[in-house]
Amino acid sequence: MTVFLDVLLGGVFHAAILFLVAAGLQLVFGVQKVINLACGSFYALGAYFGITAVGLASAAGFPAWTVLPVLILAGLAIGLVGLPVERILRTVYRRDESYQLLLTFGLLLMFQDVFRFFWGATPRTLDNAYLAYGTAEFMGLRVPTYNLLVIAASIAIAVALGAFLQKTRTGRIIRATAENRDMSEGLGVNSSRVFAAVFTVGCMLGTVGGALVVPASASSLEMAVELVVEAFAVVVIGGLGSMRGALAGALIVGLIRAAAIMVLPEAEILSIYLVVIAVLILRPAGLFGKAMA
Amino acid sequence: MSTPTSAPATVAPAVSPSLWRPSGLISFLVIIAAMAGLPLVASTYMLTLMVPFFGFAIALLGFNLLFGYTGLLSFGHAMFLGIGAYAAAVMTSKLGVQSLELILLVAVAAAVVIAVPVGFLCVRYTRIFFGMLTLAFGMLFHSILFKFYGLTGGDQGMRVMRPLLFGMAFEGGKTAFITGPFYYYALGLLTLLGCAMWRIVRSPFGLHLTAIRENAQKAAYLGVTVSRMRLAAYVISGVYGAIGGVILAVTIGLADPEIVYWTQSGNLVFMAVLGGSGAFAGPVVGGLAFVLLQDTVMSATQYWRFVMGAVLVLIVIFFPRGIAGLFGDAFARLKRGS
Amino acid sequence: MNISRRTLMRGIGAAGLAAAAPGIFSPAIAQSKPVRIGILAPRSGAMGTVGECGIRAVQWATERMNKDGGIAGRPIELVIEEETSPKDTIERFRRLVLQEKVDCVQGLISTGVSLGVAPVAEEEQALLIMWDGTTQDGVKEAMPKSQYVFRSTDNECEAVMASLLSIKYFKGKIKRIAGINPDYSYGRNNWEAFQQILKRAGVEVEVVAEQWPKVGTMDLTSHVAALKAAKPDFIFSSMLFADLPVFMKQGSAAGLFEGVNLALPAAGWQINQLKKEFMPENIVFGHNTLYFALPNASPLQKAFVEDYMGRYKEAPSWEADRAYFALAAYKAGVEAAAKATGRWPKLTEIIESIPKQKIESLGGPGQFRADKIAEQTFYQGLSTNQNSYDFPTLKTVDSFTADQLQKPPGVDFWEWLKTSKLPV
Repeated sequence: MTVFLDVLLGGVFHAAILFLVAAGLQLVFGVQKVINLACGSFYALGAYFGITAVGLASAAGFPAWTVLPVLILAGLAIGLVGLPVERILRTVYRRDESYQLLLTFGLLLMFQDVFRFFWGATPRTLDNAYLAYGTAEFMGLRVPTYNLLVIAASIAIAVALGAFLQKTRTGRIIRATAENRDMSEGLGVNSSRVFAAVFTVGCMLGTVGGALVVPASASSLEMAVELVVEAFAVVVIGGLGSMRGALAGALIVGLIRAAAIMVLPEAEILSIYLVVIAVLILRPAGLFGKAMA
Repeated sequence: MSTPTSAPATVAPAVSPSLWRPSGLISFLVIIAAMAGLPLVASTYMLTLMVPFFGFAIALLGFNLLFGYTGLLSFGHAMFLGIGAYAAAVMTSKLGVQSLELILLVAVAAAVVIAVPVGFLCVRYTRIFFGMLTLAFGMLFHSILFKFYGLTGGDQGMRVMRPLLFGMAFEGGKTAFITGPFYYYALGLLTLLGCAMWRIVRSPFGLHLTAIRENAQKAAYLGVTVSRMRLAAYVISGVYGAIGGVILAVTIGLADPEIVYWTQSGNLVFMAVLGGSGAFAGPVVGGLAFVLLQDTVMSATQYWRFVMGAVLVLIVIFFPRGIAGLFGDAFARLKRGS
Repeated sequence: MNISRRTLMRGIGAAGLAAAAPGIFSPAIAQSKPVRIGILAPRSGAMGTVGECGIRAVQWATERMNKDGGIAGRPIELVIEEETSPKDTIERFRRLVLQEKVDCVQGLISTGVSLGVAPVAEEEQALLIMWDGTTQDGVKEAMPKSQYVFRSTDNECEAVMASLLSIKYFKGKIKRIAGINPDYSYGRNNWEAFQQILKRAGVEVEVVAEQWPKVGTMDLTSHVAALKAAKPDFIFSSMLFADLPVFMKQGSAAGLFEGVNLALPAAGWQINQLKKEFMPENIVFGHNTLYFALPNASPLQKAFVEDYMGRYKEAPSWEADRAYFALAAYKAGVEAAAKATGRWPKLTEIIESIPKQKIESLGGPGQFRADKIAEQTFYQGLSTNQNSYDFPTLKTVDSFTADQLQKPPGVDFWEWLKTSKLPV
């Protein structure tokens, strides 16, 4: 039982991070119909910048417990890089999707050297932050409280995002634009502003994800390209463009991976792809996807 | 700045009658002729760079049947390069078969065996979904190569021995082999496959593909069996990819999982767009430009990834029809006599 | 920071050099043109950090050697290219040899890449001295009798040594072993070697868990949970790159290491990231061929470590030593051959001469065997956190020479493990 819970928590922690990145991917796809291969770069950017921000904060005398808020703020702040990136992307909205995909692939290549230029080739870590909140012990388990906080933060972000899209006026405008761009423009929506906002929020989800993971992990040059594949698995399983899909997909990937590690370690990566393919055969649109062309 | 519109299709990879203009074949043959004469003037190093280009060019011809003609963007096409490369490795170093013709046959067969089921699952989707699904399959193949290390050598890959060309063994150093007999063998193969592709795209089948790409529903209405046509295009492009992979593997002397990683697939798309997927010879031009560009940039700066990425971004924004598009425009202006 | 990829290191004017280094080689006056050394090392991706360390060391060595007359009176000039995938690296190698016309190529860290490049070097008849990248499988077939390729010590040496030390320090406390190793041949061979050596030493163990995370896995919480559930008393991990610090951090936070002993043969590669906060003490800790804080270090090592830590604010790893060793071996070989012939030696003369030279490298003495495989000195020991750094150092330093850890010429590694007389 303890073992089961321990593995479960490991899977959920992984899922919490994956969800944030995948949600960013879904949001942007849902509205702009652009698949952002650079989502991995935003994730890495959040991680690198998070380390710098915590370094600055602790030099400025911030107490250890402020790590989490500092990281979230750092992620949000650097997420603003989405604004200029969206300006670049905007030039190809009228083009075929393949060009949009390629453009983000070009950005992914560029970002890798940007990281190396500013932060060097050595992986960066944030060390004392991970245990800044101690460890939680319950039911025979011992988990760093930070893991639980990340899970909680991810859930909170999911709820807030859902409420924002469902309940607020801006959320409704975004959903309307996603549904029918012409119609909403006809009703007076400034869709280019909506696009800029949506892309930036999508970007922030990635950077916050990266910033949150870094105390438990490290930032490294290859993290961007590695993550893209996993995030893709999540959205394919969940269904493109669906927020619920991102949540379900992230949980499935996180838990399947954890289960494989427990039962059949050799199948850790293979199992994820197998689930992806199984879902596609049985439910071509993904679990929550809409019918597709 | 243009305001986004809701038109879903919009400017497709440069809709182009130029895909069928005879000038496409002519440009292709001009490149071939230039390549045939190159050993007379170019340095050995330049020639060693050209052989992988031939491999890429073959793969790109197939890739563009899917991308330029059928409108399906595969983001996992490096898988077929890998199939060809590993076929060459298994044949030469495990089974002791040295004949390149036999290796090519096996690579083609392997590509068909894998492309049919994978294609069957993938062609039900179009647009971005097709891209993501092919990416997933490519990465599945990558992790299988890693996992079954007893068979594939895992991260270290498998050796590819020097093959026999038409049953003939060639003595001497590897560079002499690659820039000599193998150079012309690969070039010959490229010529042959290029002409075959030209026939394919001008056949009724090729026209059907384009009809599907322009409007799949309408094509279906007119009696085109859309998914079967797409599948055929996928399989053909896979076969071209595997043949290109064999050429690459022989030049490298190794089949390794890196060749299948998804960023390699991205590079293939990069090459196609750089040259211009809207023209028959475009991807071939793109392959050449990519190889030369990467070589130059890598020697010029350690931040070559940034430069390559920036080039890609600029091409996509300002020259979506690639190098072929630029040439086409210049040519048209010349013709008009302005 | 070097903005330009090609780092040209010209020392003092070569004519001045010949005068400044009196009595070494008079022919050098005619040979004023620089010796060009091509370097192939990773600068990005997972291996970027170790590649960078090697490049820094070789730049340091070049500067120092050039002040002292370069190689046989000719200044050294470096041409640096990046090691990436096998395909691209082979192209970069050909560029160095055919276009840049370098006199010698040095570098390579990934075994996958070296397996591709080494046969090309043989066929191009170009001298290649490898820093690293010699995991067992395939090396035999790819380089059966190399003429032009000088290989580094076997990558398994560190696992053999860590296994021997595990027995030395923890015999009787190793009953339930668990392994978490990177999912590639290096990890698999290390884990297998560890188990074989335990068996040879008559240590009866039960394997309770085996984990194979992909290189670059940055979230190991589930692996940690699975290992914890298996209740091992000894964990062997040849993880490296950023993966190892992540594993140690997450493992320590989950209490995985309580009452458990560890062997980390490759830990020295990312020493700077292994912070004391999460590093338990008394780990069998591998520094391979360079332990930066060796108490009785040579003046050469001391000078290097001081410069390196002063300049980059971090400790150098063994890749620095490998890079230095390769350059120093080339220099020694050339100079000995030049002395013998009275002129700048031919390539074959250099190649013949290199294995005859004893080389003082950063980490200690070493030499190439007649079959062109390096033999160097290895350092490992039990770790301690009692020091002035923020990462562990060694409490006890054990040093072995490669002839104790490496299979002799012409023998299969696994056969050798079964039959050799291990220095326990």
